[in-house]
Amino acid sequence: MLKLHGDETPSTIKEVILRLKVKDATKKHIFTARKTDSLRHIQNLMRDNGISAVPILEDDVLVGMISVNDIISALDKGYTDDPAEKHMTKSLIILEDEMPLSYAIPFFDKYSYRRFPVVDKDRRLAGILSSRDILLALLHELNNEILELEKMINTEPADQMDRIKREFIVTKFDFENAGRASYELKKTLKDINAPRQAVRKAAVAAYELEINIAIHSDGGVMAFEIDDKKIVITARDKGPGIEDIALALQPGYSTASDWIRSMGFGAGMGLANTKKVSDDFAIESNPKTGSFIQSTIYLHTAEEQAAEGE
Amino acid sequence: MRPEVLIDEAASRVEGKFLHRGSRKFARWVVASSLMSDVLTTDEEDILLLSNLNTAQVVRTADMISANAAMVACGKPVPQDTLDLAREPDITLVCAEYPIFETCFHLAPLFNTAKK
Repeated sequence: MLKLHGDETPSTIKEVILRLKVKDATKKHIFTARKTDSLRHIQNLMRDNGISAVPILEDDVLVGMISVNDIISALDKGYTDDPAEKHMTKSLIILEDEMPLSYAIPFFDKYSYRRFPVVDKDRRLAGILSSRDILLALLHELNNEILELEKMINTEPADQMDRIKREFIVTKFDFENAGRASYELKKTLKDINAPRQAVRKAAVAAYELEINIAIHSDGGVMAFEIDDKKIVITARDKGPGIEDIALALQPGYSTASDWIRSMGFGAGMGLANTKKVSDDFAIESNPKTGSFIQSTIYLHTAEEQAAEGE
Repeated sequence: MRPEVLIDEAASRVEGKFLHRGSRKFARWVVASSLMSDVLTTDEEDILLLSNLNTAQVVRTADMISANAAMVACGKPVPQDTLDLAREPDITLVCAEYPIFETCFHLAPLFNTAKK
């Protein structure tokens, strides 16, 4: 079993490590070769795809592995035209995809291999597990766990449950995670059965503002507050501030660079579109303190509210 | 309201490969753009978002406008993170073999017929 730091390891970390299975970390999209394929073919496969080991299959069953060391030996001794089966490692250490991940981690110390083939319950190849894959899976899981913890911290106490408040940190140029806050807002609104039109408007406003923080600022915070009447979305950033707010609100005006545009953003529609979908819109900006933008969306239209009051 | 066009049929016209099949099986509109800023300004419902981009933000944008499906043109390989993101909000994700202009050309009759 994986050695943790006794009682000092936070229980959350222990839980994360213990609940993951090998299949949660296994890389499933892998390149394979047949045992009749030449080592030269496998060498090309490795070079073209930046990989260092290829599982060898016979009728979809794993029969061996060829590593980059096998290819180096083949190049050195001049037998690259030989079939894989002649030189592949046949005695393999195999992991099963349903094993707990904590069980697999010591394999990397126990054996000299840097990766292990993973099979499913029918003994078919399910993928490859490397230490990098384990690190990525742990980071992903810890990230999710922290998001859940943030949710718990940011949720109001029971006596204020009719008001939901959440905050998310948005990092400069982090396009992998930009949109996560808006996704969570949309999910929350759907969970409380907010009207469809309000959900869409809020999602678009939040996403525009979130992307703006990632593109134009040095980072900031997205905050949401939902009560039984409205959704208030607040975007605050750390600067550098908007020079000319009136110009920034004009559709088509943008200061984004070409690489931002190549990712599909920076067309100068963000603030104008946020204002368009908002029922109330406020913006303040200062080169010293950064920008503050607030979009309010009512859950029901004025007509609906009037009808409800009658 | 415009009639429904099955995403299965739209995909078959452009040699589309399904990377994720969501629960919403049809679209009424195609929004074709690789500028997500423009896509976010649309008001239509039941959209098929067609784009040259294969990034996570295509799926995020599709989710924010409540699109039923996203289609990546040019047969571009779709990264795993994009695919994973499509699963969360259950958005159908299709990879079309044709470039974006040809994809529009093949999809237009399908959606135009539906309009009549």
